[in-house]
Formats: sequence, C-alpha cells, structure tokens
Amino acid sequence: MSTPDLLQTALLLGVYVALAGLYGLFYAIARLATAPLIRGAAAFAGTLHVLMGAVVVLWTPLGTPWKGLIVASSAAVLVIPPLTWRLLQRSHETEIEG
Amino acid sequence: MYRSQVLALKYFSAAMALFGVMVLAGLLAACYYIHPDLLFGILHFNIAKILHIDTMIIWLLMGFMGALYWFLPEEFGRELAGIAAAEALFYVFCAAVAVVAIVFIFVQYGGANEATLWFINQGRKYVEAPRWAAIGVVVIMAVFAYNIIGTAYASRKITGITAVLMVDLVPLLALYLIAFPAISNMSTDLFWWWWLVHLWVEATWEVLIGCIMALTLMRLLGTPRRIVEMWLYIEVALVLGTGILGLGHHYFWIGTPAYWLAIGGFFSALEPLPLLGMVVHAVYDAGTHRMKTTNKPAFYWMMAEAFGNFLGGGVWGFMITLPQVNLYAHGTQWTVSHGHFAFWGAYASGVVSVIYLVVQKVRGAAELDGALWKWSFAALNIGLIGMVGALLVSGFAQAFVERAIGGSTHEAFIAGQENPWFVQGMIMRVIFGLIFAAGYAALMWDLLTIGKRAPVPAAVAVAAE
Repeated sequence: MSTPDLLQTALLLGVYVALAGLYGLFYAIARLATAPLIRGAAAFAGTLHVLMGAVVVLWTPLGTPWKGLIVASSAAVLVIPPLTWRLLQRSHETEIEG
Repeated sequence: MYRSQVLALKYFSAAMALFGVMVLAGLLAACYYIHPDLLFGILHFNIAKILHIDTMIIWLLMGFMGALYWFLPEEFGRELAGIAAAEALFYVFCAAVAVVAIVFIFVQYGGANEATLWFINQGRKYVEAPRWAAIGVVVIMAVFAYNIIGTAYASRKITGITAVLMVDLVPLLALYLIAFPAISNMSTDLFWWWWLVHLWVEATWEVLIGCIMALTLMRLLGTPRRIVEMWLYIEVALVLGTGILGLGHHYFWIGTPAYWLAIGGFFSALEPLPLLGMVVHAVYDAGTHRMKTTNKPAFYWMMAEAFGNFLGGGVWGFMITLPQVNLYAHGTQWTVSHGHFAFWGAYASGVVSVIYLVVQKVRGAAELDGALWKWSFAALNIGLIGMVGALLVSGFAQAFVERAIGGSTHEAFIAGQENPWFVQGMIMRVIFGLIFAAGYAALMWDLLTIGKRAPVPAAVAVAAE
C-alpha cells in the first residue's frame, strides 16, 4: 500500500462506517417523525453508505476477502435499522398487550 | 438506604476523585509531547502515563462497582451478603491505590527482579501495579463476586440481569489472574496479556456496562424488565460474538501465526454492527419518551454512551482494524485517538449517567436539570472530540512519515515526532484537554450541588417575567 493509499483507505473506511451510523440515526428519527425530509435524509445516507462501500471495493488496494466483507457489511447495515426497529416495536407492543 | 448503597456512594466519590487524577496526569503526559524535557529528573513521562491509564481503569471499575452496589439491593430486595467485608475492603482498595501511586512517583525507574515485581512495578501496561496490590485487587473482586452470588443464593431470586452479571463475574475475575505471571518471551507474554486487556475491555466490561445500563433504563425511563432483559441478551450475544475473536486484531504484529490476520480482521470488522443497533435503540427510547425525563443529565449521558460507543468503537476502530491499514497505524497516536474515544463512549459516559441517577435519588429531587450540567456535558464532549481529532491528525502524520515513508526506523520515528502535523496535533490535544478539564470541574461542582438548589416555584418565576 502506498502512502497516499494508506490515508485514503483508512478515511474511506471511517466515512463508510460513519455513514452507516448516519443512516441508522436518520432511519430511526424518520420512523418517529414521519417527516418526508428526514425519510429522504435516511435514504440519502443509506445510498451514500452503499456508494462509499463501492468506492472502497473499486478504488482501494484492500485484498479481495476484505472487499467481500465490505459488501456483506453493507448488506447487514441496510437491514439492521429496520430489523431493530421492528423488534423494538413488537417487544413494546407485546408488553402493552400483556 | 441499604448499607451497600451507602458503600456505592463511597465508590462513586472515589471514582470521581480518580477521574480527576486521570485528567491531571493526562494533561501532564500531553505536555511532555510538546516539551519533552518537562520535569526532567523529577517526574518522568512514563510515570505520568502510568498514572493516566491506570487511574482510568480504576475509576471506571469503581464506577461499575458503585453502580452495582447501588442497584443490586433493590434488585434482590435485601442487603447484599458479606457487606461488612466489602465496606472494609473499600478502604483497603483506596489505600492500596494511594500507596501504589506514591511508590510509582518515588521509584520511577531501576533494575527489575523478583522483589520489584512484588513491591514496585510489574512492568506490564495497564496492570503495572505490583503483585501485592494485584493480589489485593483479586481479593476485592472475589468479595465483590461473593456479594452478588451470595446474595442471589440467599434471596433465592435470580433475574435475567443478575444471571448475566453472575456469569460475567467468572471471566472478570479469572482474566485478571493473567496479570501475575512474568513471562520472559515477549510474544507469549503479549499473547496472554491481550487476553486480560482486550477480553476485559471488549468482553467482560461490555457485559458489565450492558447490565448496568439495563438497570439504569428501567429506573430512568421506566422500560419494562422483560424488554430490557431481551435486549440485554441480544446485545450481549452480538457484542461477545464479535468482540471475543476481535481479540485477533491485537495479534497482527506480535509474532503470532498469520491466520490471526484473517480472524482478527474479520471479527473486528463486524464489531460496528451491534453498535449500529444500539444507535437505533437509543433513538427509539429517546423518541418514545419525547426526550422527556425527570433526570435530563442522566438521560443525555446515556444517549452520549450509545453514540460515543458507535463513533469511538465503531468508526474510529474500523479505520484501523483491517490488517493492511493496521500495519501502519498500530501503536501510533491514531490508536490512542481510538482508545480515548471508545473508552469515553462505551464506559465513562455510562458511569456518569448512573451517578446522576443516584444523585437524584439520594437528594430526593423530583426533577434534575439546570444549566451547569449542560456546560459540563458540552465542555467534556467538545474537549474529548477535540482531543481525539487532534490525536488523529498526529497519528496520520506518524503513520505517514514514520511508518509508510520511513519504514519504522529509529530515524523515521524522530522524523515523525518532529513533523509539523504531529506537533500541531499534540498542541491542539493540550488545548482541548484543558477544555475537558474545565468540563470535569463543572461536572464535579454540578454533582455536588445539583438537586440541592431550591427549585424556583412556578408562580414566582412567572411573576419575575
């Protein structure tokens, strides 16, 4: 890995995870507020996260297995917020009904 | 109030005092990077650094113990078993910490033999305390374990949270025993030493803070036990699932077999995923309560815990966890930046949240709010984020100049230390460290006074307007 590649790759990885967090944050706020703007922000953050994953896969010198892991992580990131939300809602509803 | 809750207050007081020592020692250690000859011949850098990182471990541990001594009598519905021994050992613990610190300051360097291992310094980062003190820690933790397990047995009452807690106590105690052996092969020594450091911090402590946050959530937001316990199981499973073998990211460059590159990289790359779930959970809790609570500082510190954990552990950790990047980044200020952010987010914020919760209960305040906690919250978090940002810049310079360009030679190390980006990062770290210290002072003052200040009756406030 060359010196510029090092910094570039590390920063891209950091932004990649930060965007995952931003997507989760906006997704959850959008579910609470149901404002179209926030829903749009969640979709935008999610798209940016996927794009960042694509940039990491296409333009960094990471090995192929690590690039595969990035793709798999992105798939998990997109699923985790809705899954967590549904689970939270269901557990709270069950508690109220019980 | 139960006797163990009185003991909890003592533990919280000691924890907050040690938090202050940690801040002072950290500021001092930071100054050495700008003036390497500071206090030359009087107090060496290594001692300031030891005091900084060891007090960090101890104040958090005391914070956890305080939290559990506070919550558990309510959880079991009775006084904790063996409370008299725990009370006595609190003073032993404090005295031992003071003696060890004094010895570190007065015997800063010298030869190493069996006697120095027993009485001066064991020489292993984070667990420098000499053996006599380490034995003391084992005794204290054993009594702590007895307090919990003995009470559960006596009360015949085990909840989901206490069951998880009791299972966690076994590795918490057992892993500390790794602090004792003096292994002369450095690779072997580091291999086991990481079991202690990593598995304490990224496994047993994660479970401990998970239990403490579960108990806090029930009291702070009134979340039903069944929900809290279900999430505790899920989050503990996910954190342990990724965290235990994430240990491998410490084995990349210490002489262990190459397969650790794949194991460590893979599992630590998964570590941000459960943290993402925690962010969603935090927003859910905040939203369903519409940010309304009778204890705003505790609530905000709890939110800071979820977000800080994600940023410090997840984002900062992911930048350096894959072997190809870690080759250049390990052991630089970059990892220091990650360490500061992750400890702050994952643990320190949680402990502060619990202390505010307890303060409200002790002072019988119907509502806890005010201006000062907001100032301390802002100064501590801005100071911390500024410090980790500055350390990140310095770490970039080191990884670039010393590692990638210079090839990790001694000459390259010096070039890295003299690089303007590195130096400026170190200066900024001290400036933000001062903001953090101001935040600590405000936090202490607030904890001492909040809830004591008489609330302004609504009618008077309206008339004044």
